[in-house]
Amino acid sequence: MLQRASHYVHCVVIGFLVLFLAACGSSDEADRPEVGFVTNGIASFWVIADRGANTAAEEFDVEVSVMMPPDGPAGQSRMVESLLARGVDGIAISPSDPVNQAGLLDEIAQNTYLITHDSDAPESQRLVYVGMDNYEAGRMCGQLLKEAMPEGGEVVLFIGLLGQLNADLRRQGVIDELMDRSHDNSRRDPVDQVIANERYTILDTRVDQFDFARAKGQVEDALARYPELDAMVGLFVYNPPQILEAVREAGKLNEITIVGFDEDAATLQAIRDGEIVGTVVQNPYRYGYESVRVLASLARGDQSVIPENQFIDIPARRITVDNIDVFEAELEDIIGN
Amino acid sequence: MKKLFGILGVLVAVFVLTAILEPNFLTAYNLQNTLRWTGLFGIISIGAAFVIITGGIDLSTGSVIALVGVLVPMLLVDVGMSLVLVLLILFGILLTMGIFHGVLVTKLNLQPFVVTLCGLLIYRGLARWLAGDQTQGFGSAFDGLRQLAIGRIPIAGDFGLPIPFVILIVLAFLSAGFLHGTVWGRYLLALGHNEEAARFSGINTSRMITVAYVIGVMTAGFGGLLFSLDVNSIQPAVHGNFYELYAIAAAVLGGCSLRGGEGSIFGVVIGAAVLRLLYNAINILGIPTQLEFAIIGTVILVGVSTDEIVRRLAARHELKTTRDT
Amino acid sequence: MGEIPLLEVQGITKRFPGTLALDSVDLRVGYGEVVAVIGENGAGKSTLMNILAGVLLPDEGTIHLDGQVQAFASVKQAHAAGIALIHQELSLLPNLSVAANLYLGREPARAGWINKRTLRTQALKYLERVGLKCDPQTLVAALPIGQRQLVEVARALASNARLLIMDEPTSSLAEEEAEVLFGVIRELQERGVSVLYVSHRLREVMSIADRVVVLRDGRITGRLAQESVTRDEMVRCMIGRKVNRIYTRKRNEPGPVVMRVEGLVTRSTKKRSLSFCLHEGEIVGLAGLVGSGRTELLRILFGVDMPKSGLVTVAGRPVELKSPHHAIAAGIALVPEDRAKQGLILDMSTQPNLSLGALYRHYLGWKLLDRTWENSVTKGMVGQLNIQGVQAGKPTRHLSGGNQQKVVLGKWLTLHPHVLLLDEPTRGIDVGAKQETYKAIDELAARGMAILLVSSESDEIIALSDRVLVMQDHTIVGELDHTELTEKALMQLATGTVHKSPTEEESIGEAA
Repeated sequence: MLQRASHYVHCVVIGFLVLFLAACGSSDEADRPEVGFVTNGIASFWVIADRGANTAAEEFDVEVSVMMPPDGPAGQSRMVESLLARGVDGIAISPSDPVNQAGLLDEIAQNTYLITHDSDAPESQRLVYVGMDNYEAGRMCGQLLKEAMPEGGEVVLFIGLLGQLNADLRRQGVIDELMDRSHDNSRRDPVDQVIANERYTILDTRVDQFDFARAKGQVEDALARYPELDAMVGLFVYNPPQILEAVREAGKLNEITIVGFDEDAATLQAIRDGEIVGTVVQNPYRYGYESVRVLASLARGDQSVIPENQFIDIPARRITVDNIDVFEAELEDIIGN
Repeated sequence: MKKLFGILGVLVAVFVLTAILEPNFLTAYNLQNTLRWTGLFGIISIGAAFVIITGGIDLSTGSVIALVGVLVPMLLVDVGMSLVLVLLILFGILLTMGIFHGVLVTKLNLQPFVVTLCGLLIYRGLARWLAGDQTQGFGSAFDGLRQLAIGRIPIAGDFGLPIPFVILIVLAFLSAGFLHGTVWGRYLLALGHNEEAARFSGINTSRMITVAYVIGVMTAGFGGLLFSLDVNSIQPAVHGNFYELYAIAAAVLGGCSLRGGEGSIFGVVIGAAVLRLLYNAINILGIPTQLEFAIIGTVILVGVSTDEIVRRLAARHELKTTRDT
Repeated sequence: MGEIPLLEVQGITKRFPGTLALDSVDLRVGYGEVVAVIGENGAGKSTLMNILAGVLLPDEGTIHLDGQVQAFASVKQAHAAGIALIHQELSLLPNLSVAANLYLGREPARAGWINKRTLRTQALKYLERVGLKCDPQTLVAALPIGQRQLVEVARALASNARLLIMDEPTSSLAEEEAEVLFGVIRELQERGVSVLYVSHRLREVMSIADRVVVLRDGRITGRLAQESVTRDEMVRCMIGRKVNRIYTRKRNEPGPVVMRVEGLVTRSTKKRSLSFCLHEGEIVGLAGLVGSGRTELLRILFGVDMPKSGLVTVAGRPVELKSPHHAIAAGIALVPEDRAKQGLILDMSTQPNLSLGALYRHYLGWKLLDRTWENSVTKGMVGQLNIQGVQAGKPTRHLSGGNQQKVVLGKWLTLHPHVLLLDEPTRGIDVGAKQETYKAIDELAARGMAILLVSSESDEIIALSDRVLVMQDHTIVGELDHTELTEKALMQLATGTVHKSPTEEESIGEAA
């Protein structure tokens, strides 16, 4: 009796699942090419990229699936596999860990067109990289700090994760700029050493694994540990707001120079209020847009969209109090769409 | 109290060692911060302790924190509801969730691990869906409300007691009073030790277990409110990830047995303090962040084994003295 | 009797702390012989079977198998020698197939892979031998209980058992299923398999056994050949013990009816529903053999299990027994059989254990614990029941069995219930503590409590009860007044030798 009851329950559950999946999959099936846009996580940043991708999809008449993995590389491979299984005509991906994901990237390249965006995988068979040069963006960030603090001082860097190419390059760019080194993006300074020249001392780089509360705690710990600290650089989108919170609560807004990355609303407001010197922004909208544009052409057999150097540069921009109004209007425009 | 010696020892040892190695550790600013984090994590650990005392476990804490963290700014800022209404809605939702957990565990006889694991998945998913994966926050509004999380009660000079820590201490006294001073607390301890005997003593064990799950979810939700006010920037996919494990670790460090029945609220507070102190020590001593988990895992093991050894020695001693008499 | 028997046991003695479980027992079982071992609860039957099956080691004595001396250090060794024990509680794994159960741990395998085909053909062979026509792939869970018993037998045969020890094999079988089992036993007998059949169902024993051995207090008190087996003779051997006046009670006139049970039908009810009543100040013994349904009845009266139908009234009001707290609120309390699992919170000290049952009505505002009341109750109970070894904060785990039982009793005395249900209240406690328990029970009755006492020790029932209800097969088969209360009368009713119908008798048909 009990067995039969549980059998019924199973049937009902399976029935619902089937209905649910059918409902999900019942979008209109056209002959349009289908492309995939895979991010390296879930963030407001990627929501903007999503807008760009969808705008391009309409414009160039393709179907785009934007996929945001909640759990990094594991989620990426899961999503890529399902895209490949659906037989998409091209995939744009921001690889979380390009070195160890070589196999996954090869698999994409063998089955369909592979391009990278946001973070590159130069060793792979990707046809093109759509994005900014993270090393140069990092240097831009360093430049902002130099201008705000020409006399020099002690600096701590905050970042979500190391080992991901764009993060490593960003950090290296800041360090090289502050140390007045030549442009060479292959250097890697170790994390646990103090790096210094006659003007600037980079005391530490703290990694928070995307835990916002921890990011804030680490700023507080740095303030406690280095009472003489002069500047902080937050390299992931949520770092500048967390730095701002902690520094404000410590009452040290006048003592600490803050430079950020990306365009969190709190960051922008702080720039306007003069609490943050400036930020370096990418253009995720263009990442999405360009990726889909390129994939759409490739899917229709047009290889001419690929430039010689296999790099479509979406340059980073520096936002300070001077140009913040223009930038915010632009942003409004995109999200308003 | 005998049981708390090991963990108190760890607390003092880490404190003294860090203070010696890094004088800046003892600044008012740093101590305030550590106390604030202890407050925030201690609150959710007390909830975890109540569930663990019944012999269950609550894995949904982190996701409840995320859901609350998304809901509160959305309702307050985007929808523009009044604070009282938002708090009422929150209370209703949390109560429903707690009863839901309790009923599944007691009436359907599902394992607590399974029920709350599904809670973990469901609430995280809801939080992400509600927010559309967009980061939520209060912006620069609600500064008054935010004082609940970031405010301080001035004591002397620079030093002020962070409000979350004050809340934790009040909550700890209330919880300890509930657990050790009321009929319901006695019932929880009894059924945690031996559910069948408790039932045979006329205790409505199903209802009491449900009460424990409600307390678990309520404190997680309240903690979640404070967390969201503190960080002011809630990314629904990652906010509160693994916090249930911190809460469980603090409860276990503080002397709760996962077999049920054992538990001291003040032990849990000390357990939470040890964990936050360790995080602070790792950062302030400049130990590479990569080693964080390894160090914390080691300290939990040391603390728990010390307690166990002390307990056994005490039991042996007790046996000896009873034999002698 | 000149030839060597299959099994020859000589001078087996086994002591447990405080009791002599077996006292130089001799036993022979010939090839293809069915020998029944009967005796009261606690006569030593199970101990003997466990020694033969290698579960326990004897303190003294020898076991010969085929004339060879054996010393079984483990179940495995006894098994290898051809002795298989089939337990009262079946040991099959319900979520595996019949075939898998038959060969559990001995699967025909090649290089680690189970040979499914061999498994199947072998399984079919043994299933046929016990007359079971089922697919070896069937899950055991899908078989009725009687067929599972046969699978147990088949499993024993598959391991080449020559002596089957069956412990109460029919206790959970319907009559027809039992008949099938007897058929199988007779067939096995013809193939030369011997059976040692433990039961207290005398009718069964008469029909199946070649010889009957009667155990009492660890000694063999009777050896009856099939020709001379009669019920009276068996009962005489089982009870022939001198009855000790273990406690003398001053009997008082029972008062009005406190609890009335009418037409109670339980899940196990086979024939007749249950009806009885308890009077104020009366101790009613509930006698019967193991498995006759006594504990089940107490569980229903305490709200742990639900009856199918029936009406219970306490003090004139019908009560709904949905859970123990409903029962307690209605004035019913239970001292359960298993102290450690159901009676006490062993890791808590005496005080919270004593007050636990009454907390629902003794508290201050805001549900705060009333410590003053708790302290005084603890003090009072410790004094009244003479509980030894109590220390503040000392877990009841460290108290002796007798004192633990007093704590359980004390827990209910704080509530002054109308009806006190006692399930084996003196099990596992020493003689001195037993006396004190009897005294406490006596006093409670004198104060007007109605007490329903389940005990497997007939001494206890006889000494304490004003009246005894005898159960068999989940129903009450007889009622004895204390004037007609003898061990013989009890045993005859409990084993179904005579029938003495209770006054209020109903059939299920009428009750439903």
